[in-house]
Amino acid sequence: MSTTSTSPPLTTSHESAFRVRLRRMGETSGRVLSNPTTLGGLVIIVVMVGMAVLAPWLVEPNTPNASQMPRDWGAIAVPPGSPGHLLGTTNTGGDVLYGVIWGARTSLRLSLIVVTVTVAIGVAVGSLAGFRGGRLDEILMRIVDVFLSIPELIFALAIAAVLGPSFRNIILALAIVFWVKYARIMRAQVMHVKQNDYVDASRVIGDSSWNIFRKDVLPNSITPVVVQATLDMGNIVLVGATLSFIGLAEAGLAEWGVLVSEGQAGISGGRWWASTFPGLMVFLWALAFNLLGDGIRDVLDPKTETR
Amino acid sequence: MQIRDYILRRLIVLPFLIVGVSIIVFGLTRIGGSPVAIYLSHEMSSEEVAEIEARFHLDEPVPVQYAYWARGVFQGDLGWSGVAAAPVTAVFPNKLAATMELAVASAVVAVSLGIGLGTYAGARRNKLPDHITRIISISGAAMPLFWFAIVMLIVFWVYLGWFPIGRSTPEVFASISHPTGLYTVDALLAGNFKAFRDAIWHLVLPAITLGYGATAIIARMMRSSLVEELQEEYVDAARAKGLAERLVLRRHARRNALMPTVTVIGLSFGFLLQGTIVAEIIFRWPGLGRWMADSVLRGDRATIMAYVLFTSVLFLVVNLVVDVVYAYLDRRVVLGS
Repeated sequence: MSTTSTSPPLTTSHESAFRVRLRRMGETSGRVLSNPTTLGGLVIIVVMVGMAVLAPWLVEPNTPNASQMPRDWGAIAVPPGSPGHLLGTTNTGGDVLYGVIWGARTSLRLSLIVVTVTVAIGVAVGSLAGFRGGRLDEILMRIVDVFLSIPELIFALAIAAVLGPSFRNIILALAIVFWVKYARIMRAQVMHVKQNDYVDASRVIGDSSWNIFRKDVLPNSITPVVVQATLDMGNIVLVGATLSFIGLAEAGLAEWGVLVSEGQAGISGGRWWASTFPGLMVFLWALAFNLLGDGIRDVLDPKTETR
Repeated sequence: MQIRDYILRRLIVLPFLIVGVSIIVFGLTRIGGSPVAIYLSHEMSSEEVAEIEARFHLDEPVPVQYAYWARGVFQGDLGWSGVAAAPVTAVFPNKLAATMELAVASAVVAVSLGIGLGTYAGARRNKLPDHITRIISISGAAMPLFWFAIVMLIVFWVYLGWFPIGRSTPEVFASISHPTGLYTVDALLAGNFKAFRDAIWHLVLPAITLGYGATAIIARMMRSSLVEELQEEYVDAARAKGLAERLVLRRHARRNALMPTVTVIGLSFGFLLQGTIVAEIIFRWPGLGRWMADSVLRGDRATIMAYVLFTSVLFLVVNLVVDVVYAYLDRRVVLGS
């Protein structure tokens, strides 16, 4: 039998479905990384995450609690390049380099926890609303509307404030604020995808709702969520550091926002370093994930590109 | 759907959203335990505590407490601010004026600079100005305002000494009366040029700093919609009839490119509003944002509630206005989707 199809076959006889998927993933990654700015973003991320993971080997951990700044009372507010303090120290003798490196660890923990939790909640709520529809959808989406009416930072600030100042409460506050976007994105995707013929086909052959959702709807809806999650890996650190800058984290925590706040007191005396370096880290972190997120969106999801 | 119906529907939804927000705001203050603690001291007997609870209706069920609070808000009673040591409503107008003056100045910077940069870059696609604008736009979304503001202070206040911090010079402040609380307007009303210059001088650095993020968003949108418009046939037609390139840009392309930009101007207002908290802390600007930050650190719940409620309502109203304006400008917009 001859075929007139011009497109290459999805799978050749010797290739398993798993290998096809793997090959496609490789191709997509190649396309994403062919853009120099996206690649630049990824390089920054690799360096930052490397710093976070390797922190205990890069600078000696403070005892007993490594996430607290060590204090060198013999070297208060020394400038960058001083012996033992490459990036200088704060007004209270905190080593800025220690804060920069261990701050990466704090930020990585913050963003991973919040993104995981918010994606899970948002995808669950959005899928439920979009797939079921009806009264449930109506109720869930009105709740989402109300959540979206309060500006992000102000909402998180208020929640963290009533919970009491601590880094754990910052994480909780961000989780309460950030899931909403995913719910809305996921709902719109599911509503769109479930109208496809292949979903009807699965229904006709008697697949269960759960199976249809798992095999047909979810994999075809998830792309914008992945893009948003990448962007949020950066945004969450940005908002989290803002909250700790305002004063909602424990004083002395090795976290970038806390350090910028601590360094603020010294700037009128010309001691610029204690704020500048940790703040630069927040900027680079957010920038890198923005570049990567934009790059992924351009390749996977060109329709929703936010120009 | 008719525009009138669309506006009507949005107007009907608005009060429900506001009630929803108020429930969240009220609920927030209850997750941290009963607010009675701020009124208590160690010497009080349990009868006295009970009396205080009864006075503030804290012995009633939570929904009833909400009703009391909502009625109070409706009648203009937002509670007592521990930070300001005064009723919230007594302090609010002055702080609001300070914040609005800053926000409006930043919005002026962001809109004019954003549209200007976007137009300049869009008309010179893939040339140097376009690349520079792209860097500004991309970095704008990732820029931590609390850091950018400090860097600006280090450069322009500490090292160059070009701009002051705070909102006014004390002697100048004392030299005129302040009926509106907007120092620029007050100076103009008093006809005092020195005071006007002082107010502007204090505004410039915080306004540019706060406006940077919004400038980036607007410039990015303006650039891409201008690039799109310049590929339309009507632009070719205008060129073909011999119109100068400058006029093609100004009279035709830019006008149409402005439409989608209107929506991001609305979005960037939320950006500015949130940014005032950080900008006011760093530039020592005595507005709502700094009051909120102080209240957050000192657990002043009445102020936190008032602030969140107020900013959310403002945010909702601004978004509504922007959507309505956009729907008017662009009748092609798909309403009701």
